[in-house]
Amino acid sequence: MTDHRDLPMPPPVAGRVLDADLDLLDRQILDPDGVPVSTVDDLELTDPDDLEHLDPDTPPVVSALLTGPILATRIFGGRMPDSRFIRIPWKVVADPGIVVTVGVAADSLDASWAERWMSEHVIGRIPGGRHDPE
Amino acid sequence: MKGLFAVALGVLTAIGGFVDIGDLVTSSVVGSRFGLTLAWVLVLGTVGICLFAQMSGRVAAVSGRATFEIIRERLGARLAVANLSASFLINLLTLTAEIGGIALAMQLASSISPGLWFPVAAFAVWIVIWRVRFSILENVTGLLGLALVVFAVAVFFLHPDWSALGSQLLQQPSPHTDESPATYWYYAVALFGAAMTPYEVFFFSSGAIEEKWKPKDLAQSRVNVLVGFPLGAILSLSIAACAAIVLLPKGIAVTSLYETALPIAQAFGKIGLIVAILGFVAATFGASLEVTLSSGYTLAQFFGWPWGKFRRPAHASRFHAAMILSLVVALGILLTGVDPVQVTEISVVFSAIALPLTYLPILIVANDPKYMGDHVNGRVTNVVGLIFLGIILVASIAAIPLMIVTGAGA
Repeated sequence: MTDHRDLPMPPPVAGRVLDADLDLLDRQILDPDGVPVSTVDDLELTDPDDLEHLDPDTPPVVSALLTGPILATRIFGGRMPDSRFIRIPWKVVADPGIVVTVGVAADSLDASWAERWMSEHVIGRIPGGRHDPE
Repeated sequence: MKGLFAVALGVLTAIGGFVDIGDLVTSSVVGSRFGLTLAWVLVLGTVGICLFAQMSGRVAAVSGRATFEIIRERLGARLAVANLSASFLINLLTLTAEIGGIALAMQLASSISPGLWFPVAAFAVWIVIWRVRFSILENVTGLLGLALVVFAVAVFFLHPDWSALGSQLLQQPSPHTDESPATYWYYAVALFGAAMTPYEVFFFSSGAIEEKWKPKDLAQSRVNVLVGFPLGAILSLSIAACAAIVLLPKGIAVTSLYETALPIAQAFGKIGLIVAILGFVAATFGASLEVTLSSGYTLAQFFGWPWGKFRRPAHASRFHAAMILSLVVALGILLTGVDPVQVTEISVVFSAIALPLTYLPILIVANDPKYMGDHVNGRVTNVVGLIFLGIILVASIAAIPLMIVTGAGA
């Protein structure tokens, strides 16, 4: 039996508390110009040294937002291999509000490669694709 | 004029929801079989769509979030993908029906077989979405769709027996002994579902963002809803009334757009028919635009892609690719030779799944001060919203059994 005094204390809270499930997962990610990048499909946490005994002074922290083809695993369970996720490092996150705003342009992120590919190879090649509608 | 155009979004949304090809025929079918005994469903559905469209428009204007982004955020990927699959299938089937509807309307005008019009119609829809600005698109189709007002005028020119028509409004369920109660309720659910189709709120809320509505535009949003949807309902009701006056006594069954237009021909002759056909083309074309854009909006908002007609196509490439693909698939379905009108009937089943999953997240977010600040729902709105959510749930549970029991209203 563990005495209740041995239980790890929750880390001291400074600033805004975010619920990973409620405030981060499935949120839209926008760049500073309001261009959608992707949605938050999963989170990457830092590995604690010892998973059994978490050290209250150095808790795992969110190191990156992950995005990728998660639908199958979200519906049927299981987990995708890490290599299939695209990382958006937490250090570029500017404001986790009702949308997660990142501080860098969408075009500079790996997460929008599919958008760029489709734009360069298909949509941009159809006449009128690069012009404003009239 | 500026005031007239200010309600264009509401009018176009409502035309797509209330007088698209499925409704043009369904209203007529219902009128010719049940008279006006189902008019109360239309009123109920109109109140419901006004309530939730206004809520989704308010959320869009205040928080800048369109409806499907909210659905994903609030339901999570798993439930949201159930909604996405159902909504997208409805969109695809409706789009198929609408493109078919344009072709059928063009056939009435030109006598050229609809098979030849399918590709032309699909291409025309694409080119408008590709090149025409959102504001022009909504104004032109919204205005031309008003040609359908001819049905409302015709009701008066047909000199109906008003007291007989009025008594139908209160007679329940059906004046005809040969229609079973199950069939009556099947059409009640179908009419209710058609009035509250989810793509209307997807389109309306995304349109609010296309038009860059802000909290100061909330009054405009309200006017859009309160003018557009009741107008659509009145047009839909007029079509049913025309059918009840002309087709019901003679026992003419509505099987195509041709019978829908018959009462107009009787009231106004050739000129009326031309106006009605213009209205048919505008309404089906407007609905095609609305549904195509909705397919793009739902997919892009679910996956977090850039979307919107305010961006160049190259800057919303997957959004445009999704819409092109939808049009190609719809055209493919049409070319197999299915009856476009029957296609909409099938979509009622999928509608059943999507309705509650669409309206619940809107209600939740409209109460979240993080999104809405001071503009959260009032108590009355919440009570009425919850009541409607209950009705929607009952309708959606009843839809599939009723469809099986009645053989889809046969």
